[in-house]
Amino acid sequence: MAYKPQYGPGTSIVAANRRKQMDPTHKLEKVRDVTDEDIVLILGHRAPGSAYPTAHPPLAEQQEPDCPIRKIVAPTEGAKAGDRVRYIQFADSMFNAPSQPYQRTYAEMYRFRGIDPGTLSGRQIVECRERDLEQYSKLLIETEMFEPSLVSCRGATVHGHSLRLAEDGMMFDMLQRCILGADGIVRYVKDQIGEPLDREVAVGKPMGDEWVKAHSTIFHSLVGVAYRDDAEYIEYIQRIHALRTKYGFMPKE
Amino acid sequence: MLSPTTAEKYLNEVVKVPGIRRMVVNGPSLPAVVPYGPARGKPNPNSNRRTIKVGNADMELRVQVGTIVFEVEDTSVIEKIREVSNEFFKDINFPCQVQEGKFMKTSPTLADYCKYGPDADESVIGLIDPKKKDGPIIIQGIR
Repeated sequence: MAYKPQYGPGTSIVAANRRKQMDPTHKLEKVRDVTDEDIVLILGHRAPGSAYPTAHPPLAEQQEPDCPIRKIVAPTEGAKAGDRVRYIQFADSMFNAPSQPYQRTYAEMYRFRGIDPGTLSGRQIVECRERDLEQYSKLLIETEMFEPSLVSCRGATVHGHSLRLAEDGMMFDMLQRCILGADGIVRYVKDQIGEPLDREVAVGKPMGDEWVKAHSTIFHSLVGVAYRDDAEYIEYIQRIHALRTKYGFMPKE
Repeated sequence: MLSPTTAEKYLNEVVKVPGIRRMVVNGPSLPAVVPYGPARGKPNPNSNRRTIKVGNADMELRVQVGTIVFEVEDTSVIEKIREVSNEFFKDINFPCQVQEGKFMKTSPTLADYCKYGPDADESVIGLIDPKKKDGPIIIQGIR
């Protein structure tokens, strides 16, 4: 029988959302439109419309060593062109953000090629070739993995994921990169690292409490689904814990 | 966390309660210049950092207001603060919690000794960051 990945245990909506994001065959729901130029502005790595700076000559123009792995692995577009390695970093609020660092890394590893994710408690960074990064960022920002008020692109000064939300529902940001306008639309006024943008970049309206609860991948006993309510997840985590603890004693199930 | 406008309204309500000796407005910092990262040293415009008027005094907010600590003269004042707070936050439909305890320094520490010397005025202990140059704001004449 062919192996069919399960992606994760659990019977709750949170577990189901986690699986949805990780499963590369599942098409993530597109929630907003952000243009390529807007993505470039938010990332802040190059001026929109400018050529991609390179770290090395295109692969076609340089001699490659005789390497069996290089014959197996097809290079990504960015690697082929010799782009620089650049990053996007997200901070996700603990109050039911639609994704979170571990989840992002799992999802990206299943969905993208040629990436180097870094997972931390309050932020998650993914590095890759610039050309690929822009495509990946577009997916991460346009789909259900992003929520304008609870997720934000923060290259530096990320503090805020664990703080209570502001009165208007926005996650705290010391640099106030994005502002909730009077018309209810969130706009980026600074790029990832906090440099002011020449023009505002709209990323849509906050999705509202109901949507957020239905798309969350975070267990939270106060504002969402409690971890204890998902018996299957508990069983799984207890099994992993027991096996890891007994590892040195060669456990046999 | 509160916007400066709401914080201003709330503080103006709560300072009318007689018996508050000292007050600390706290929350995550909103510095005027970016303190670290690639944009370090650049100005940090932020609509949540502005000067508010509480009672008769102008107060420059440096934080997004999340917690306010009051030192009161006796326990009956706590009930009055609770009443004012619940009333205010019920109107704007925002959660609030009033806790009772000791949240402020009452005797000088080494840092205070370095800043104020041996005969520190007890009314300024625990109010401000000892590294900051400016003193506390005095709100008076509101009763």
